[in-house]
Amino acid sequence: MKKIRVITSVFALLAMSTIVQAEPKVETVVEGLSVPCGVAIQPGTGHVFVADSAAGRVVRIVDGKIENVIVDFPIDKYGKGPTYPIGPLGLAFIDEKVLAVGGGGYPDAKDKLRVYNIPATGGDALNADEDDAAALEIPATDKLAGEGNFYGVAFTGDALFVTCNGDDTKGWISRAGVKGAKVGPFMRAIATKELTEVDAPVAITVAPDGSLAVGQMGEISLPGDGLLTFYDPKDGAKLANFETGLSDITGLAYAPKGKLLATDFAWADTSEGGLFQIAAKYTKKKQSIEVTKVTGLDKPTAIAVDAEGNVYVTVIGSGEGASGKLLKISNL
Amino acid sequence: MKKLSIHQLAFVIAGLVAGLVFVSEGTNLFAKEKQVVELPLGLEPFKVPADNPLTKAKIELGKQLYFDKRLSSDNTVSCASCHDPNKGWSNDEAFATGVDGQMGGRSAPTIINSAYFPLQFWDGRAKGLEGQALGPIANPIEMNLPIDKAVEKLSEIPGYRKQFKKVFKSDVTADGIAKAIASFERTVLSGDAPYDRFKAGDESALSPAAKRGMDLFFNKAKCSACHKGHSFTDLAFHNIGVGYDKDNPDPGRFAVTNQEGDRGRFKTPPLRDIHTSAPFMHDGSVKTLKEVVEFYNKGGIKNPQLDEEMKPLKLTEEEIADIVIFMKEGLKSKNYPHVDPPELP
Repeated sequence: MKKIRVITSVFALLAMSTIVQAEPKVETVVEGLSVPCGVAIQPGTGHVFVADSAAGRVVRIVDGKIENVIVDFPIDKYGKGPTYPIGPLGLAFIDEKVLAVGGGGYPDAKDKLRVYNIPATGGDALNADEDDAAALEIPATDKLAGEGNFYGVAFTGDALFVTCNGDDTKGWISRAGVKGAKVGPFMRAIATKELTEVDAPVAITVAPDGSLAVGQMGEISLPGDGLLTFYDPKDGAKLANFETGLSDITGLAYAPKGKLLATDFAWADTSEGGLFQIAAKYTKKKQSIEVTKVTGLDKPTAIAVDAEGNVYVTVIGSGEGASGKLLKISNL
Repeated sequence: MKKLSIHQLAFVIAGLVAGLVFVSEGTNLFAKEKQVVELPLGLEPFKVPADNPLTKAKIELGKQLYFDKRLSSDNTVSCASCHDPNKGWSNDEAFATGVDGQMGGRSAPTIINSAYFPLQFWDGRAKGLEGQALGPIANPIEMNLPIDKAVEKLSEIPGYRKQFKKVFKSDVTADGIAKAIASFERTVLSGDAPYDRFKAGDESALSPAAKRGMDLFFNKAKCSACHKGHSFTDLAFHNIGVGYDKDNPDPGRFAVTNQEGDRGRFKTPPLRDIHTSAPFMHDGSVKTLKEVVEFYNKGGIKNPQLDEEMKPLKLTEEEIADIVIFMKEGLKSKNYPHVDPPELP
């Protein structure tokens, strides 16, 4: 049975279309964001939501304008130089009205995965500590460090899967079951570092076959060590694992026709960062992947794709102050 | 042959249409180039540059160059002087010592399992073993022989000329020297330790103390946050505070990248057969493995770039002793990669 699981998952990857040939069109949707680290498309409306992380808020973009949706998230800092203030991180919609937000603004063990019933367009913004919102934590145990920096959030239909950055010996992806309005319990699920020998799951998305596609960031001081790994969400089994040659994968998303896209922050040399397509390759009886740069980007942090295949990427940028942007990339 | 379900068959057909052959359970998706050397139990295949495939003749040439003191300005220092097989492929001293007794400011890192590192030297300034090999030869405080002089010197030795012709189909070149030495260094591998046999199912391979130490290593002591994988290194760079109790601490990887976050970061050393290569740390400042664990137990030495993993561990004396036993016994290879100096041309 396991053999077939490997087959199906690898097929999900291999089903991807051929490498991009066209010249992509890159447009700035909004600017003035502060370390934006998450992006999601709202089902139904198609509105783009952004975790404007250092501003401690989640916003939606309506007609090119920023509208606060959730505000006053706590802010922590990440990195040793450069250092980035971070608050809300990963975003994933459970349905049109319910949004999951991964937190990064508290120390490990205190960070929260929150789930909000979001207001309609034009409504009052919620406070991050909204009483009605679920706020789930993963505390330390006798043997394991508490979890935090919930960078990537993906919804499989019955559970949220969240990449964590607390226990550096295990590299956990955690899971919170979703049944109706009930979310939780929130528990460690997949010890990615034990399964791949590489640190730091960061990007996560759901593949067309339902498996979890995870971008393993590796060490930020080591270029080229990023992995693309597939897991079975039912039991956490590793299905396939590929060296990508990318340095720090921050976002993964499937475009229509199974096209897998990734953003690479490339900490060690951010001039190498950008948007990449990952396609299947098969040579000499070996299955592998082919990674092609679509366009260079200035510190890309997250990616989402709408129903028309437009790609939305958040970038931190290099200017002073709020140099972050939401970009729309089309013609892929 | 087992029959396939409709579901399974659909995927097989889809795969065939796409021109694919599906992998089966256990297939190594990372299968690397064919290895000339046999990998000890527990080690994963390593990458070999496409323009420097391993051959026995090249490895043999590299071994001769590695042990040849004529690659120094005064014929007194070879690679093996500071990376001595009899001393854990290091030199038993805090610093590397070059010609005229000149001392560098960093210890000589072990060659053991250096095949796995994409970036070499404590600060990662060289790409791969080929990028590293010529550095110490030309370095004025190490072997102090400019590379063009090294090429000239070797070219005067018929035995080397003959081997370069055979291996590279060329005269003696700097590129050939680097490739040959790198090829030899790739063969210095340590595996097949009690830890590997334990992982392979032999419950008796580790003593009770080593088992306790292993559990601590991978959990409470958080050693595996950086010393991970088959070679017990993440191949990356970390600031654990070594040297920050002195004036002007070594900037480490910062000198290469100019990124503030890299200040005081040094390469994570591999740990197999680590008991043979004291003293430890990039500056050779820690004499024993017990002192190493004690250093981590107190959370390293505070500084602005100290890794977030570096926190006091609250290990007891017994736990420290168990971790040391795990490293000394559990990671000691059955066949230490000893190499005798070859006959030189």
